[in-house]
Amino acid sequence: MTLPYESIWSKVAPIVAKAERPSRYINHEWGSVCKRDCDFRFCMVYPDTYELGQANQALRILVNAVNRCEGMAAERGFLPAADMCDALRAEGLPLFSIEGCAPLSSFDAIGITLPHELAATNVLEILDLAGIPVRAEDRSDDDPIVVGGGPCALNPEPYALFFDAINIGEGEESLPEGLQVIRALRANGASRAEIRRALAGLEGWYVPQLYRWRGVEEAQAAGSWIEPLEEGVPNVIVKRVYKGFSSSSGWEPCVVPFAEAVHDRLNVEILRGCARGCRFCQAGMMYRPVRERSAENVVSSVLTGLAETGYDEVSLTSLSSTDHSQIREILMRLNKAYADTGVRISIPSQRLDSFGVDMATLVAGQKKGGLTFAPEAGTQRLRDVINKNVTEDDLLGAVDAAFSAGWRRCKLYFMIGLPTETDEDVKGIARLVQKAYERAREVVPKDQRGSIQIGASVALFVPKAQTPFQWDGQIPPEEALRRVNLLRHSVKYRAITISWHDPKTSFVEAVMSRGGREASYLVEGAWKRGARFDAWSEHFNEQAWRDAAADLGFDVEAAAQSSYPLDYVMPWGHISCGTSLKWLARERMLAERAQTTPDCTFDHCSACGVCMSLGIDNELATARVTARGGDER
Amino acid sequence: MTDPNARQLFRLRSTYIETGRLAMLSHLEVAHTLERTVRRAGLPFAVSQGFSPHMKIAFGAALPVGVGSTCEIFDLQLVEYVAPEIALEALRAASVRDLMVQECCYISSKAPAASVAFPFSTYEVVFDGDVGVLDIPETIDVVRKKKEKTLVVSEFLAELPEVSGTVVRFTLEAKANGSLRPDVLLQHCHADAIVVSITRVAQR
Repeated sequence: MTLPYESIWSKVAPIVAKAERPSRYINHEWGSVCKRDCDFRFCMVYPDTYELGQANQALRILVNAVNRCEGMAAERGFLPAADMCDALRAEGLPLFSIEGCAPLSSFDAIGITLPHELAATNVLEILDLAGIPVRAEDRSDDDPIVVGGGPCALNPEPYALFFDAINIGEGEESLPEGLQVIRALRANGASRAEIRRALAGLEGWYVPQLYRWRGVEEAQAAGSWIEPLEEGVPNVIVKRVYKGFSSSSGWEPCVVPFAEAVHDRLNVEILRGCARGCRFCQAGMMYRPVRERSAENVVSSVLTGLAETGYDEVSLTSLSSTDHSQIREILMRLNKAYADTGVRISIPSQRLDSFGVDMATLVAGQKKGGLTFAPEAGTQRLRDVINKNVTEDDLLGAVDAAFSAGWRRCKLYFMIGLPTETDEDVKGIARLVQKAYERAREVVPKDQRGSIQIGASVALFVPKAQTPFQWDGQIPPEEALRRVNLLRHSVKYRAITISWHDPKTSFVEAVMSRGGREASYLVEGAWKRGARFDAWSEHFNEQAWRDAAADLGFDVEAAAQSSYPLDYVMPWGHISCGTSLKWLARERMLAERAQTTPDCTFDHCSACGVCMSLGIDNELATARVTARGGDER
Repeated sequence: MTDPNARQLFRLRSTYIETGRLAMLSHLEVAHTLERTVRRAGLPFAVSQGFSPHMKIAFGAALPVGVGSTCEIFDLQLVEYVAPEIALEALRAASVRDLMVQECCYISSKAPAASVAFPFSTYEVVFDGDVGVLDIPETIDVVRKKKEKTLVVSEFLAELPEVSGTVVRFTLEAKANGSLRPDVLLQHCHADAIVVSITRVAQR
């Protein structure tokens, strides 16, 4: 059954030595914390390899939050790379934590974050490698309590079979609360069922096993897919918001990896939330309301963080960093503090106007790599449909500013398959990119025009739970390829490159994004047939998913591609981001009429319902003003 | 020609260990880690001028992945003089245990680079039992840059290995046109026991 908590390093060392990149597994990095004084152990696991998960904010924040609690210790865990998964199985060794190199099954509780839809089979791979039954119902009282959370928890049903409880929303406070409940009950010898029942009573925790899953007719008639099996468990689970965010320090103590990792730099989260209201965007719904950390907080967090970690780069992260009301002040102060030190300051994405470019110029120094912008759609009509409040003039103004300031490369992100899209909109992408290229040529000196590169990256629209487009189906993969080809053939300049994602993986994303509880059987079936690391193109195994679907009689096309009327109850209807269903439906109707809704951090409230239902308002460091002043458009 | 505006730089040579699990780090990973250690230590390091400014730091001869050391070297250029014992203390406070800095001293700006100054490396190899007679081949075939190459062991082996019980010591010389890795040499040697660890114990 479960194993004792002890280091198994001497057993894993020989296979680590032979593994591809041993530094993934060895711990001992700067900042790694091994808390000894505890009576409760928690392992926070990222469902992919070390280099992808090490810098993940959820992992870092939650490990710190749990370690701050007296008597509770938190460690990190990652899914080993495929070679190491196989080597562990071959040697009969269990998956282990990083800090203590202890078997995962020896922990009291395990948390797995769900960062995107293609990590589902990795959750099962983790549990199985750890020797923990993959289905919650098969676990004994001795097995760890397995909890989940993160963006994909906004539609938790495809994960319902595998988790004892799922945390909805921000976990800074709710995860330690949940763990304290588990700790107290385990200390008293409570059963797994009793622990689940107690977790279901906490705000923001969903315990799938306590609900019966209804059939489609029954669900539509009842207005909900779930029926509580016990009295007193909630019918609707509302997301948690960390109300102390804006006043808390932006310096989050972190581990400095040996291995080269994704986002391997100091990350300071300068604000949370984005109210621009793009109708396809789940993050925009998930992290409302908008909360800014003050310039003072951000600057001192960066100073402390760089001194403590030794990083030579800091990223000021958020969903829209250039929207921070004090961004100019923050960048000017940091520039002054780090002049001639080789420290780089970066902002993850640029606001699509000349102000965004101004801010990028402030921190770029001499080295101007590339700028990225996300117009998302090629025509004004479609940009209005998705509420991307950006005009062609904004984009061309940004291109003007960027290429005048010395940039020579620019990447533009678009989506295809957005609701109401026509061939005109697809050709519009080509027109817009060409205009951007022509504008760039105008401002770049003649002898340097050859170095201009403009890339357009095209992703297939994936309908996401809790957004105004949740009722809209995805276009079939073959139709997506037709539209990509239409776009490619509409581009006439060789300096423009078009890249696109494989629509087959986007299709699985849509199935996972919109599926109900049946989808968790599909995940299990796909994993049993060998699916894992679905987000890695070299590992993606479409046939495993197809075979699992055929075996279950699961209509994956319907799950991904069906569109529903706005009164249809979606399978995540019992989960709430605080946005009212009425507002989501109204936004969808405005989309149909190509009418936009303003950003409430610049303009008036659009009555999404978040502030009212969660008891918190937007918290801005100072008033926001747009580059042009006044109205956004 | 010397630039009259150039500031005088101070060249600090540090030795450090690479032990335990951290012997599994690659040369690049160690280099990144040491740069960050220097930043954490708050030393006044020099930054190169130009398009992509970076710390003026140089490393000794690379250690193969899996081989530990008690005597690795890096050279750092400082823009201000810091007493060696103060620099050592700051570096130690910023180092992880198994990559701990041991000594700091200043060297001449004209001294040869750490990567070429010490062509002889002595390794200590611990086996899991009595080694018996270590059978060393005359030549070893290695693949380098997709080309097969035959190395004559005696050209690299500076002195014959010393065997005492479970421990073997030998010294290899790095040549301008290549070198023989200690782990590769051991893979081709025949012994009665299995290698437990390889450690570089001296560089000269």
